[in-house]
Amino acid sequence: MPKIDVNEQLFFSTLGRRFAKDELEALLPVAKAELDDWPEGGGVLRIELNDTNRPDLWSTLGLARQLAIYLTGKVPSYPFFSRAGAMKDAADRKVVVDAGLKDIRPFIGSFVVEGRQVTDALLREIIQSQEKLCGNFGRKRKTVAMGVSRADLISWPVHYGAADPDKTRFVPLDFPRPLSMRQILTEHPKGRDYGALVAGFPKFPLLTDGKGEVLTFPPVINSALIGGVKPGDSRLFIDLTGPDLEVILTACAIAACDFADMGFRVLPVAVEYPWDTPYGRRVVTPYYFQKEVVLETAEAGRRLGEAFQPEEAAGFIRRMGNGVRVEGSRLHVAPPEYRNDFLHPVDAVEEIMISRGMASFQPIMPRDFTVGRISAAEEFGRKVREIMVGLGYQEMIYNYLGSRADFVDRMGSDGADLVEIANPMTESAAVVRNSILPSLLGSEAASAHAVYPHRIFETGKTVVKDASQNTGSRTLNSLGLLWADREAGFNDVNAHVQALFYYLALEPELSALEDTRFITGRCAELRVAGRRVGLMGEVHPAVLERWGIQMPCAVAEFDLDAMR
Amino acid sequence: MESDAKLKELHPLEVKVLRRFSPGEDITREGMSGLFGNPSHCNQAVSWLTAKGFLVETGRTSRTVYELGELGQEYLAKGSLEQRIVALLGRMGPLALPSLAEELGVEAKDVGSAFGVLVKEGALAMDALKRAMLKDASKAVSSSRLAALLSRFSSAKSIEESELSPEERETASANARRRGSSKSAFRAVEREDVTWRLTAAGEEARRGLERLGMTGEETGALTPEMLKTGSWKDRSFRRYNTNVPPVRVLAGRRNPYCSFLERLKDKLASLGFEEFDGPLVETDFWNCDALFMPQFHSARDIHDVYHVKDPTKAERIEQPYLDQVAAAHENGWTTGSRGWGYRFDREFTRRLVLRSQGTVLSARTLPHAKVPGKYFGVVRCFRYDKVDATHLSDFYQTEGIVLGEEVNLRTLLGLLKMFAEEVAGAREVKYVPGFFPYTEPSVEVHIKHPTLGWFELGGSGIFRPEVTEPLGVKVPVLAWGLGIDRMAMMSTGIRDIRELFTQEIEPVRLRRAR
Repeated sequence: MPKIDVNEQLFFSTLGRRFAKDELEALLPVAKAELDDWPEGGGVLRIELNDTNRPDLWSTLGLARQLAIYLTGKVPSYPFFSRAGAMKDAADRKVVVDAGLKDIRPFIGSFVVEGRQVTDALLREIIQSQEKLCGNFGRKRKTVAMGVSRADLISWPVHYGAADPDKTRFVPLDFPRPLSMRQILTEHPKGRDYGALVAGFPKFPLLTDGKGEVLTFPPVINSALIGGVKPGDSRLFIDLTGPDLEVILTACAIAACDFADMGFRVLPVAVEYPWDTPYGRRVVTPYYFQKEVVLETAEAGRRLGEAFQPEEAAGFIRRMGNGVRVEGSRLHVAPPEYRNDFLHPVDAVEEIMISRGMASFQPIMPRDFTVGRISAAEEFGRKVREIMVGLGYQEMIYNYLGSRADFVDRMGSDGADLVEIANPMTESAAVVRNSILPSLLGSEAASAHAVYPHRIFETGKTVVKDASQNTGSRTLNSLGLLWADREAGFNDVNAHVQALFYYLALEPELSALEDTRFITGRCAELRVAGRRVGLMGEVHPAVLERWGIQMPCAVAEFDLDAMR
Repeated sequence: MESDAKLKELHPLEVKVLRRFSPGEDITREGMSGLFGNPSHCNQAVSWLTAKGFLVETGRTSRTVYELGELGQEYLAKGSLEQRIVALLGRMGPLALPSLAEELGVEAKDVGSAFGVLVKEGALAMDALKRAMLKDASKAVSSSRLAALLSRFSSAKSIEESELSPEERETASANARRRGSSKSAFRAVEREDVTWRLTAAGEEARRGLERLGMTGEETGALTPEMLKTGSWKDRSFRRYNTNVPPVRVLAGRRNPYCSFLERLKDKLASLGFEEFDGPLVETDFWNCDALFMPQFHSARDIHDVYHVKDPTKAERIEQPYLDQVAAAHENGWTTGSRGWGYRFDREFTRRLVLRSQGTVLSARTLPHAKVPGKYFGVVRCFRYDKVDATHLSDFYQTEGIVLGEEVNLRTLLGLLKMFAEEVAGAREVKYVPGFFPYTEPSVEVHIKHPTLGWFELGGSGIFRPEVTEPLGVKVPVLAWGLGIDRMAMMSTGIRDIRELFTQEIEPVRLRRAR
């Protein structure tokens, strides 16, 4: 969930007045937002946004916009959007896309803003929106990278090309000398952060102007000259690039609305593709591409548990900033320019819920009769736990992830049936346990100071590889027990195991088992009706030594699913 | 003034001593003999009573006692060496000293010194052939004195020095430390005689014991024999000090966290929910795709879930769900959705991951769920998270679904209210709009917990048609999840979430559930 720093002054001036803390907290759910922190006198509100499909809310202005619409009922107008069949005039502002980008980073949205001086505060706002839009929504610039350049220095048309990474050189932002694009990937900090997104391609994306001057190297870094925006600049060129057109158009729309809300004039830019896109070869951006969703008023009523008149429902939807056309019982909902989260008519239903207010819906108890029950495995597990407690064992509960050192090396096993994690975060959570015994021995190793005897057990899951399964592994419900004491040995644990089986009304057949984890001749396998259910034995001193345990241990482990 | 309670706590040994002696009477070890079976009890009783201030030492004198030494034991059985020499020579006539030693089986030097003594007394003499010969047996005075003294020890283990005549005293002393001899006939033992007397407090305690009728002869443990023979009827039982800390019991015990989870399951079952469960290793299909989370979503990045190293992919995904879910992602299928508008990757969907959310099992339950139906699971999930006091990479989620024609926002609120009251014991409930990729609308429930205050108890929503319809469900489905960790931590009295799964035995043994 993204968290944003909201500029207090900008936020409240957009809302029209200052809000007290509790007042604000009551209002924020309209944007599925929560006040995270509001330090006294800091000038900044920290707010968490819960809807990952609403990147338009991840800026001071975007959040203030949604709240202001809800409070005033006034929907702002953004006249600079083109639509299918109604392209805006872009004058000479044009970006020409190179055919060579088709499989690299094909799409770009762009516009120019003017009419206001960039201040420090505005620059911070712009940078934050850029970070949220590209970092969170744009998946660390993979699907959205945004560049801001100095429009006054640009000679039109701008060229979005596929450049030779070794031959193309320019001075990147925050760097003292020219580098080739390939050098940027290793020598510039941003190159090291984002270079991987393009490194595998034969050519790299590059924006240059009519004179061949570099604006930016998306998604990595701006040029120092045209790309070096400073406070005092008043005309900016914005570009958003990525592999998915609708994602880019959405991001472009959000950025344009934010600039408009800051008081800039937004001037459209025509993007010309050498291939067909769903919106044609010439797309003037910002571009509105949303389709209406059609909601049956009765369907909304069924989902919310309330009956509505069509106009009443339409009113609630409009109050969130949407356009609604009522045709009989049907509501044609047109989302605002900056939103791209209406996939299904149910998405409009939520607008009614939020707009009308949660408190206006009275909870009612579901009345359908259903039979409740715990699972058969849980029921059996409870029987086992009850007996184990009666036998004097303390129940434990362990993490299921562990280290290879514990589950393979210390046990002296080959780990052939162990499911390992391909991308572990730490070595201590790199495998899924295939046995409870290492968990129990880990306990013993950590508890030498605790009064003896130690009798512990756990019922829990283990996972073993199993090639006969669709997923290549099987999850088992297992029981593991450990007895550590001066005199703990096979006979004692055998006595307890036999008592357990007796009370479970199971007749185990024992046979000697060779297993390097146990002292030879002090390990037995148990079968019930010919089916292998587990084993027990005296842990081999070599295993104990590897665990750093200086007390004899006898253990047992069973597959409870096989015993049920 | 000693309280009765204190008196009742006196050990039987102490009681016996206090009761045996009158005020002013000298208390001695001899006086206590017969009170105790074991002589060491005497020392224990005296030291305890002295420490309590009931006895005080009034005198201490030393004296010597003779006991029989190792050689003395031998002399007593066979006669002294001198006696045996006299007897042998009387029987066999004169003998050379080496022959004498050989006949008696003793060392030549011992024979030599004994011969010297006997010659000096005039009992023996050396003949012309340098042989020892008997001269006058009656002159062997020292050996007859020794024999007389030894005979006194045949009936006494030890004899006080004061009970010996001067002559006997001389014999005993001479034979107690014979120079150059490793063994001696007698041992001189120094003995100390100590006397004690009851203090004023001791006298008072004694009167108290008389009043209470305590003799120290009360019975400790009741035995099966007493019951068998009925001898308990003639006994009175000693009062125990009930304030003595008992020994620690290492009991068999449930883990409080597991008990908490069990109670939670019972509660949900009692509310009409049926439990589901499933494997820890899942496919991306069930983990995310079936929940309509687009494959390009940031939550699907490599570093948000744990991937399985081998095999990396499942063999297949269940049909027709794969086709239907894929279509829902691409174009909405027949659900009325526009879909996510991208090409669904059928390789990606087979990737194996560790279940990252309990909702996976809700999705898995849908194809075979009853209508109406209610299901729940308290299941282990895995997150690619740094482990700290509030985050685990391996933890429980409580999730479930409700299927039925009556599912709508208001019944959803009703259900959340029921959870708030029944599961969390909350009286105040607040609902706020929430967000989950697979529900629309979505609601969070915040509750005012009796001790924890306001917090988010859980989230809920109505599954999107893009989730339910591809899995063959036509009725609306309510999906819910409860965050129970904070309640679990409160219930088990811990502050650091890692302690829920602690390996250490002692804190688990000591932990108490509330």
